[in-house]
Amino acid sequence: MSRTSHLTDFSRRTVLALPLGLAAASSGASAAEPKRGGTMVMIVHPEPSTLAHYAVSAGNIPPIATQVYEGLCTYDWDLNPRPNLAKSWDVAPDGKTITFTLQEGVTFHNGKPLTSADVQYSFMEILKKYNPVAPVMLAELVAVDTPDPMTAVLRLANPAPYIMKALSGRDLPILCRSVFEGTDVLQNPTANKPIGTGPFKFVSWERGQSVRLDRNENYWKPGLPYLNRIVARFIPDAATRSAAMEAGEAHFAGYSAVNYADLARMKTNPVLDLTTQGYEMTPAQSVLELNGRHPQLQKKPVRQAIAYAIDRNVILRDVMFGYGLPASGPLSRKFKTAGLYTDDVRQYDVPDRLEIANRLLDEAGAPRGAGGIRFALHLEVNSFGEQWLRQAEYLKQALGGVGIDVTLRSEDTATWLRRVYTNYDYDINEPFLSQGVDPVYGLNKQFLTSQIRKGVTFVNDTFYANPEVDRMLGEGARELDPEKRGAIYKKVQQILAEDSPMIWLIDVQYVSVFNRRLKDHTTGPLGTQQAFERAWMDK
Amino acid sequence: MRSALARFARNRLALLGAAVLLGLLALVALTPLLFPDDPFRLVGPALQPPGGRFLLGTDTLGRDVAAEIAYGARTSLMIGLGATLAAILFGTLVGGLAGYYRGGVEIALMRLTEFFQTIPAFVLAILIVAILSPSLTSEIVAIAAVSWPGIARLVRGEFVALGGREFVLACDGLGAGDARIIFRHMLPNCASAIIAVGSLLIGTAILIEAGLAFLGLGDPNVMSWGLIISAGRAVLRSAWWICTFPGIAILLTVLGINLVGDGLNEAMNPRLRER
Repeated sequence: MSRTSHLTDFSRRTVLALPLGLAAASSGASAAEPKRGGTMVMIVHPEPSTLAHYAVSAGNIPPIATQVYEGLCTYDWDLNPRPNLAKSWDVAPDGKTITFTLQEGVTFHNGKPLTSADVQYSFMEILKKYNPVAPVMLAELVAVDTPDPMTAVLRLANPAPYIMKALSGRDLPILCRSVFEGTDVLQNPTANKPIGTGPFKFVSWERGQSVRLDRNENYWKPGLPYLNRIVARFIPDAATRSAAMEAGEAHFAGYSAVNYADLARMKTNPVLDLTTQGYEMTPAQSVLELNGRHPQLQKKPVRQAIAYAIDRNVILRDVMFGYGLPASGPLSRKFKTAGLYTDDVRQYDVPDRLEIANRLLDEAGAPRGAGGIRFALHLEVNSFGEQWLRQAEYLKQALGGVGIDVTLRSEDTATWLRRVYTNYDYDINEPFLSQGVDPVYGLNKQFLTSQIRKGVTFVNDTFYANPEVDRMLGEGARELDPEKRGAIYKKVQQILAEDSPMIWLIDVQYVSVFNRRLKDHTTGPLGTQQAFERAWMDK
Repeated sequence: MRSALARFARNRLALLGAAVLLGLLALVALTPLLFPDDPFRLVGPALQPPGGRFLLGTDTLGRDVAAEIAYGARTSLMIGLGATLAAILFGTLVGGLAGYYRGGVEIALMRLTEFFQTIPAFVLAILIVAILSPSLTSEIVAIAAVSWPGIARLVRGEFVALGGREFVLACDGLGAGDARIIFRHMLPNCASAIIAVGSLLIGTAILIEAGLAFLGLGDPNVMSWGLIISAGRAVLRSAWWICTFPGIAILLTVLGINLVGDGLNEAMNPRLRER
């Protein structure tokens, strides 16, 4: 399968149903005839607190939930939508209606057939009301019309090309109307016993232990899935997770469930292998948020100096164990495939970066005082794991080198989030930000003036307010022409990199560890967050 | 006191412990000379095994493990001594008041003491540090808060026993005030017991501190043994030296303190004298 990147103008093209089965292309792909049967054990970490996938966005739910819930589309390696529950679709020239024709003969695990009423109910009554990304991704969705049982028409107030990137079971799953109708969606009995159309049926969840999923005998794709059962195991201790993979007790550990520190050892194990594929639609960055109300940090040269002072390669090598790439600006390189990423922005990783940093700080009126210190800042340590403390320790050293005295503050998660996003009582914050399937998600929530929302976590807490950026992000969201859209986002990235309201550190790369007996596990850009319908175990 | 010292000097294990502690004190004193750099500074390539340019190797960020241990020793001793002193002061105050005044005061104070004793010490320490947010001071407060009940019970017991003795009754009869009786006559008579138990507390305090730092509840701006171990844990199987050396440092220090504490106890406790 071709991996060349090309821009697909889906807006005026109808994609017809492909014959079943897209060619599998991945590190797990094999020419051998798939064998049936067997149980695959995958490690999911940490254990989800709920399986109400439609109402909670957390990275640890989809590996389980997407085996059960499916979306209208899947995606190929070039991130183009491909038929799934929808066998074809048509985007109107004005971009304001998208007409989906559904697959026939699809039934939910409770025996009910899939109709356009389910699609309508899922979008309007569940996803739009309860899904955490809906305020961005479904903001333009006005109604879903159902002219006949096999046709669902999304009606939009404005063009929203990004919706076509979010139709997978991970982002916008299709649920069974009769299960939810007339009930409290969040308290629905199937919240933790999901009923979908997927290749595996939910069987049981033993809290603290595992979730069991069994083969859906009536799956609508003939002959699939190959596996009899998937067991998702929860192992809190990192060393035990690695040991389970090495002992062959578990066959797959995605989403970096195995610590980066252990990957080198896994690599040398003849039974195991690694892949970084399957995260093409899961862009994320580690960044530093700078409090734009701080007397020093409100000066652009000071913010730029901080960006110059940090050696991203040290963080990449010693904190991330080499997985990822030094971030060049506000978008992850994963958006390159969609033609939205640019590295034509102000460069901070330059050979004379320390001289530049010192000069900028001198010129900004922050001269070195006693002990070579210019001024002091606090850095809030991310409480989601060890590696963030290591990163903070390095940052303290790096900024100390240019005369900024950093004091680390590590608090429990609730206190940390309240301090930063509610009280704004911080100087530098060290979060890890998921960027979603389209810049409209990641950029809008961080940089729109309207996203300065007291008490809402992981939104604009840098007080960045730039009318030009606001306007361009609005245009970018509605632009249907991929070329023009790319140009808008290029300009946005240039302005943001210049203004440096944040410091972009690392384009994060997740890693999957798998047992070599397990084949065809990573067959698309959503990796662990799509169904293992083609995965099979070699004897 | 002189005979107590002589008895202590006859105890070989106690002397061994004292030697270890003296070595540790020497290390702390010489740290600024041996390692003039900030222990957090990245001084070399990451994960260098011991024996090369860096005697004890480097950690995952390329920091000198030997320097980390030297600065960690200072932190451990500071917290160990600080927390123990605070625990002794507070514990003696509570136990002394309870044992001297008896009655309602005793009931109230000792129930409070027992209340603290029923909560698992380490869990309570974690809770206090989490609430106060991790720093050197909050660690000392937390460790002192879980350590004082033992001292309070000991001092109360001693005071109750001393309260009926002739010299105390005589003082009282001669019109001495409460403060004079407590500070001039009763406290000096239970000092040896407090010193013996208190010295053991230092070891416990160092262990709790290492545990807190290991769990990420130490002061992130201060190097400590627990922090080194917690940072090295992720690479334990490929870089054994990062966890091993601070582990040995903790072992030796706590062992040394316990040997000295036992020695002091034997030397100063009249009931153990003739054994």
